[in-house]
Amino acid sequence: MNSVRARAGLACMYSAFLSGAPASGAEAFITDQTGDEVSVLDLKSKQIVARIPVLGKPAGIAMARDGRTAYVTSTEGKYVSVLDTESRDIVAKIAIPDTPLGIAAAGRFIYVAGFYRPRLYEIDLATGTIAATVEVGASPSGVAVTQDGALIVTADRDDNQISIIDAKTFARKGTVKVGAHPFGVTIDQQGARAYTANVESNDVSVVDLAAGTLLGTVAVGKRPYAVALAKGRGFSTDQYGGTVSVFDLATLRPVKRITVGDYPEGIETSTDGNSVYVVNWFSNEVWAIDAGTLAVTAKIPAGDGPRAFGTFLRETP
Amino acid sequence: MAGNIERALLAIAFFGIALPYPGWAHGPTRQKLTETIQIDAPPAKTWATIADFHDMSWLPGVAKTTGEGGNEPDVATRQLTLDGGATIDESLYKYDAGAMSYSYRIDKVDVKVLPVNNYSSTIIVLPAEGGKSTVEWRGAFYRGYPNNDPPPELNDEAALKAVGKVYRAGLESLKKKVEAAK
Repeated sequence: MNSVRARAGLACMYSAFLSGAPASGAEAFITDQTGDEVSVLDLKSKQIVARIPVLGKPAGIAMARDGRTAYVTSTEGKYVSVLDTESRDIVAKIAIPDTPLGIAAAGRFIYVAGFYRPRLYEIDLATGTIAATVEVGASPSGVAVTQDGALIVTADRDDNQISIIDAKTFARKGTVKVGAHPFGVTIDQQGARAYTANVESNDVSVVDLAAGTLLGTVAVGKRPYAVALAKGRGFSTDQYGGTVSVFDLATLRPVKRITVGDYPEGIETSTDGNSVYVVNWFSNEVWAIDAGTLAVTAKIPAGDGPRAFGTFLRETP
Repeated sequence: MAGNIERALLAIAFFGIALPYPGWAHGPTRQKLTETIQIDAPPAKTWATIADFHDMSWLPGVAKTTGEGGNEPDVATRQLTLDGGATIDESLYKYDAGAMSYSYRIDKVDVKVLPVNNYSSTIIVLPAEGGKSTVEWRGAFYRGYPNNDPPPELNDEAALKAVGKVYRAGLESLKKKVEAAK
């Protein structure tokens, strides 16, 4: 009896730990495209704590791994704004020769896709200039980089493929055909697989990065935008569906569809791996989903037209 | 440490780089719009007036609605023929009678008729105070000109203005129709 109760108590604590806010503070930096700003959300108090004006219809964002800097693309400007996440200041603007959308950060470099030409640009943060350029497929949208910084992947929307780029040589290693109109691309922690959300075929493609082959395809809700990974599952934001589709990463079978706000777009797993944050473009909210129970645990207001296309979460010191 | 160096160098970069002129060519941004109206009738009655995807008689300017597939998402399509003879092809992608809501997209329209691209929309009846209803009509779309430097009649403002006009006229007409019905 006692041991049962103790165990139940422990289970309670354990689940409280799982569903609760992270031990330290955490924030979301949300690009509000129509609002021309980045709203900063405190994920513990569930409110907007700062609004940083960023002009040019900001859409893409990459958070530095240390959480101290965020890089934001403006789709109606040809620049990347560099945000100091502590002071909330724009500390630099980096000119890009084309309209930037997708962006990823890895240490000294950021990788920015130019949508029209189409190219991937490597920007050396030490100089704030373009260090290398490589041609990719048509309309590159999402950009992701492996944890070790060795590989970069672009989702080449209008060519229905991903490009895999060697970070050292900055040459394209190859391309892999995926579903129709891949938009967001996400790479797992190990750098083994890439997941694309395919807007027109309503599915997610799973690519083996080392082999350069398509491992499988998972049906998800309508007009998927991007994918997050947590607790052995994939989560896609389905813009038209108004849902997050959850699937098992081992079996690639659907698990559940969770109803969220209107036109969900940006999605990312919290740094502690316990929550998935979903950015609802039409309804101007960020929702939290418990990655274990799949329950919606929070609804937080954002600015107007939030997209947060990329990585937007950080732990606060 | 590395962070500090990075910051210092960024500061240099900031002063060293000329910012692009804001009037440079750019890609379009998706627009959104919501129009709302209060109707002095129970939600079920209001919903009954709009529930048939193939009946757009409540929208001013629509002469005829044809189509097939009933109210089945991903199956149902309709064609609106406007008073002047122009047509708009639409398809249903979400239908929830319980939530009194459906969503559709435009598959084909001349930008001279409605200056939008990649248009999707949801109409929903919500319960309001005193047993009345609120109808929300929401649209998400790009401007009519998909490339850089749109002419004024195909820019973001023109798209918002045109869709807003349709929604307001539609909701006003719906209100009259529902409130007049016994």
